[in-house]
Amino acid sequence: MGSFIKKDLLVFWRDRKEVLLSLLLPIVLIAVLNIALSGLFNSDEDSINIHVGIVEEDNSSIGMEQFEEALNQLNISQVEQEAALKQAQMLDPSKTVRDFFNNPELQDWLHTQNISETEAIKLVEEGELDAFVKIPEGFTYEVLSSIIFDEEADVGLTIHADEQSTELTTLQNMVNNFVDSVNLQFALGTSAGTDSLEQLLPQGGSEIMEGVEMYSFSQYITIAMSALFSLFIAQTVAMKTVTEKRERVFNRIILADSHPLQFLIGKTFATFCLSLLQITLTFTVSQLLFDIFPDKSMQFWLGILIIFTLFALSIAGLSALFTSISLNLRDENAISGIFTAIIMGMAVLGGSFAPIQSLPAVLQKIGEWTPNGLTQTVLLEWIQFTNPSDLIIPIIVLIGFFIVCLAIGMSIFPTRGRN
Amino acid sequence: MLETVKLSKTFKEKKAVEEIELYLHAGESVGLLGPNGAGKSTTISMISSLMKPTSGDVKLDGKSIIKNPSEIRKVLGVVPQEIALYEELSAYENLKFFGKIYHVAKEVLENRIQEVLEMVGLKDRQKELVKTFSGGMKRRVNIAAALLHKPKILILDEPTVGIDPQSRNHILETVRKLNEMHGTTILYTSHYMKEVEQLCNRVYIMDHGRVVASGTKTELLSILSTEDTIQIQLSKKSDSLLNTIKAIEHVRRVDETTQGIRIISKKGSNILSDLVHAAEKEGIQIIHFQMEVPSLEDVFLHLTGKTLRD
Repeated sequence: MGSFIKKDLLVFWRDRKEVLLSLLLPIVLIAVLNIALSGLFNSDEDSINIHVGIVEEDNSSIGMEQFEEALNQLNISQVEQEAALKQAQMLDPSKTVRDFFNNPELQDWLHTQNISETEAIKLVEEGELDAFVKIPEGFTYEVLSSIIFDEEADVGLTIHADEQSTELTTLQNMVNNFVDSVNLQFALGTSAGTDSLEQLLPQGGSEIMEGVEMYSFSQYITIAMSALFSLFIAQTVAMKTVTEKRERVFNRIILADSHPLQFLIGKTFATFCLSLLQITLTFTVSQLLFDIFPDKSMQFWLGILIIFTLFALSIAGLSALFTSISLNLRDENAISGIFTAIIMGMAVLGGSFAPIQSLPAVLQKIGEWTPNGLTQTVLLEWIQFTNPSDLIIPIIVLIGFFIVCLAIGMSIFPTRGRN
Repeated sequence: MLETVKLSKTFKEKKAVEEIELYLHAGESVGLLGPNGAGKSTTISMISSLMKPTSGDVKLDGKSIIKNPSEIRKVLGVVPQEIALYEELSAYENLKFFGKIYHVAKEVLENRIQEVLEMVGLKDRQKELVKTFSGGMKRRVNIAAALLHKPKILILDEPTVGIDPQSRNHILETVRKLNEMHGTTILYTSHYMKEVEQLCNRVYIMDHGRVVASGTKTELLSILSTEDTIQIQLSKKSDSLLNTIKAIEHVRRVDETTQGIRIISKKGSNILSDLVHAAEKEGIQIIHFQMEVPSLEDVFLHLTGKTLRD
């Protein structure tokens, strides 16, 4: 048995292309994706600092007076006039915008200052400000007329920036969400016949759960890439069997009259070692380079190691199944195609390319039962809750997956070269 | 020692091998010849227990090995046509791996590896990766890997295809020594008739999945010819001598060639004394005499209608 394991590990290790693809590519990809795409996930928000200038050219008192005058000229009852005026005073568009940008909940990462337009342009050019938001002259009157008289507004909030950036995108999303939110609330307030207008602030795309640590993009991408490339190790090892069969080395092994299952177990164990090495190496290097899991306890790392071990075991089971399939089929292209299809299917369903939550409910359920999907889910839960009881069922499922795959692999393993 | 009894293999509708009967006595060296697609490799696969026959049997010392292939695997070494080695491992690492899975005892394995490397002449290169070897060197390691467990029977399937003359000679010499000095029984297939003639005591010729002829070289040659061809070279040209030779009993044809005179006579007729006598009478010397016999290549062509490399 030891001879088979040693041989498989040596053959893998001496194939420089495979080593680079399996061990280094995931690290390179994680590094590239981290650098290129970090900041897109909201949980990286603590690393985002948006500096915004507020240029207010509007005078809300004048705007309110203009609105009142316009209201008086309308052919409506006194009661209706008073109600509309009350609504307008409560809405006060300029104040609502100012309050939004000065909200204490945003102060940690959204830094505003009231400045003139000339100064704002200069600071944006110098890079001191990411952008400035301009509340134009007549904003109050235009917005009130638009909302209450249903007239088209000639002016609106504008964002000025020098270049596109993550900060600018975030600011744009915030302002859009804010405007939508205000419009929606006014519409709801009107239809419900109430004059209460409680301000809701946009939360930025995803829910923030108090007391729970969210996972970051870096953490997601590290887990997803590691799981994906581990799946490919099962294929790599199985495809080595195809070469062994083609070059009649497998026949020589059969003729040596060693128990055929030694060959299969050798492949399985070698895959386990390689998969565990690959995922551990990827995590270790990512941690050293990017500090992906800062300030984590020993318990956290121990849990991670347990999950890795079980995942590597499930990949080893998959490799045993693939190995036996490859020995039963003759067409190398068909074998390669089948394995790639299975792995890519598992990768998509298991959330290696996009979070599993983005899939339709049915596919989500299926994805959670793939070894990579399950591992990914349990790792992300472990990051958030670090609750040992969460590991029990995934451990059982991953061991079950290994046993089922190995059993099928053993049952279809050929004992002669060809029948 | 080893025999096949009406051994047949059918793939779907196609009969690849049909009721093959061959035997190998202990210590014999037997050639298996046939054009491509004749069924040689299928026969070897069934003999070596890699493929289950559709019908028939393979017997080792009178016992069937179909149900219990372990019996033949213990005593059999197979050198496949392909380089059945791990290219990423060194010659030594390959041999160590195969030695272990052939259950060669740990304490003797190291010595045995060195012995077989010595045998194939690669002791000095044992630490180098197989992928860096020439085709000939790879084939030599391929043979070494089949010898680790000291097999009593060695099957070599075209072991010299596509290699340099030096490696070919080395391989032929190794096979000859194994047969003559170690008493290993050999079953040898090749596209090179000369190799088979050089190495084998007996030959089986296969075509279309059947054995079409078998026997010793002499026996096979006797199939072909009922005539002898004699080539003589004379000290000077003479038309009258030519006519005298034509008149000798059993002489069927006399032709002048660039090398002298070519005489075709009835097989087994001894016309040498008549020839010498006729030449003396004319005062002419016979300076060269050669009896030309048909080759196995001719026999093969006669039986299969193809040359060996077709």
